[in-house]
Amino acid sequence: MKIVARHDEAPGVRTMRLEFQDPADHEQFKKTFRTGMFGLYGVYGEGESTFCVASPETRNEYIECTFRQSGRVTSALANADIGDLVTFRGPYGNRFPIEQFHGKNLLFISGGIALPPTRSVIWSCLDQREKFGKVTIVYGARTVADLVYKHELDEWQERPDVDLVLTVDPGGESPDWKYRVGFVPTVLEEAAPSPDNCIAVICGPPIMIKFTLISLKKLGFDEKNVYTTLENRMKCGVGKCGRCNVGSVYVCKEGPVFTAEEVSRMPAADL
Amino acid sequence: MTRILFSDKLDNCVAKWRSAGMTVIGPVQGESLSSYAAVEKAGDLSFGMVLPDRSLKELFFPQTEPMLRYTIKKNEIETADFTPPAAPRIIFGARPCDASGLAIDDPLFGWDYKDEYWFQRRNESVIVTIACTKADDFCMCTSLKQAPDCTKGSDVLLRPLDNNRGWVVEELTDRGREAFTLISEHIKESDETALPTVEVPEKFNLDTCVAWLQNPDNFDSKFWKEISMRCIGCASCTYLCPTCHCFDIQDEGDTYSGIRRKNWDSCSFALFTMHTSGHNPRATQSARWRQRIMHKFNYFPGKFSVNSCSGCGRCSRQCPVDMGITETLQEISKL
Repeated sequence: MKIVARHDEAPGVRTMRLEFQDPADHEQFKKTFRTGMFGLYGVYGEGESTFCVASPETRNEYIECTFRQSGRVTSALANADIGDLVTFRGPYGNRFPIEQFHGKNLLFISGGIALPPTRSVIWSCLDQREKFGKVTIVYGARTVADLVYKHELDEWQERPDVDLVLTVDPGGESPDWKYRVGFVPTVLEEAAPSPDNCIAVICGPPIMIKFTLISLKKLGFDEKNVYTTLENRMKCGVGKCGRCNVGSVYVCKEGPVFTAEEVSRMPAADL
Repeated sequence: MTRILFSDKLDNCVAKWRSAGMTVIGPVQGESLSSYAAVEKAGDLSFGMVLPDRSLKELFFPQTEPMLRYTIKKNEIETADFTPPAAPRIIFGARPCDASGLAIDDPLFGWDYKDEYWFQRRNESVIVTIACTKADDFCMCTSLKQAPDCTKGSDVLLRPLDNNRGWVVEELTDRGREAFTLISEHIKESDETALPTVEVPEKFNLDTCVAWLQNPDNFDSKFWKEISMRCIGCASCTYLCPTCHCFDIQDEGDTYSGIRRKNWDSCSFALFTMHTSGHNPRATQSARWRQRIMHKFNYFPGKFSVNSCSGCGRCSRQCPVDMGITETLQEISKL
């Protein structure tokens, strides 16, 4: 796939837009990709890394991915320039069943570098805005600098049909920060979105998911109406290599999207 | 009447199979570890050992193998998929636990994406298994409800005669019959009977253990910490296991050309599941050992209706700190 655009989101975090080189591959992608699926992005000579597809299913002319430069593969991806070729294997896994969300209010909760998978669902829904009720987005990061998709946050902030609640961890605010300060679960409880006819989609680091699930329970959300995506380490993506499973569940095959009810049946210690 | 292949004819059989284009593979004493390896004559085969140190798995799922080769040119990348060369072969003298290990992994390599490397090698291999007439303290096939003359995964079963004179032949599949048709001149009708198979005492009650493992309350039992305290995470157990199938994918090469490889990996290693963020779902050695036992006797059978263990006992036999599946399940059956 060819890199056609790059954008730095936060220190060490980059978004790349990729276009297919082979029309047949592109057709196949358009047929199979639904929001929530993931892929293995790679650079020959360095290897492959697993991230979600951060672009929505409603915009399938390209693939966008957002990653933090951290190891060998992500450094190679970060060093790749516009026009360079990288690899994509996928899309794999299951999806957010957004057609089941029609007519419902949507609550998106996300932390830090976990906004990319949530963003794919958010735009997939906003691109067909009339099919959904109220849309609330709660997003937090450690510091103001660590917020990703800043230009899109501005856009959501301005949209009258989206409620955006932004927060940074205590100590992460800048002098001109005019939004909330506090951890995502606390801020969520303060914002107190109604669980009535509402679907919650949460994605974040394991510790955030753990406490956010508790907060959602307090707010009265039914576990069946809460969706999350588990981002485990993967190599093969096709249920063979043995590392992504949590209990008997292969995250690459049966996930990465699960309801909180399904997650509650998994052994908590292995999450 | 039984059909007998006498040992003194085996060299002729090896020559016959080789001239038919088959590689003949069997148990051989290596310089350090014994294994299943290609031989040129019957004399190179070693039937005396209980079972080779290394399992049969590596002939179907090698420790390392190329998946594709890449060449990067100015504005394009050329890739070539690696396909194992066609290599018909006969594995003479597999142990029943090794042969059944292959059958156990078939559904794993076949679900969803079909692993063509595995199945190509499965399809071009004739597996001639020799029933066991001796065992050591680590053998535990009977505890796994298998047997020293288990036929799962085998194309031909041989039962030894006394004094290493030969074997009673039982062809099990068409592929086995075909390979033995080539050597039919060396098979004699006789009324001799084979030696009885070895008695392997049952070491633990599998049903009791599985019931304990399936009880979600036991996932957080302190038993896991106690049993795995001495585990040094060396991965010998997973590498020697005939059914462990976890792997890693790594690129090897320079900026302009190289190979993408599939390498054995192990759930014993901390890096196996470590996230980029530093979070590790299986952060401790006890969580990793629990995963191995749960996977073999709870998760895998839940998915594929078969335990991911054939009872060879290698994990205990070769463990540097004397803990393997046997010791763990023996302790569980006492809980």
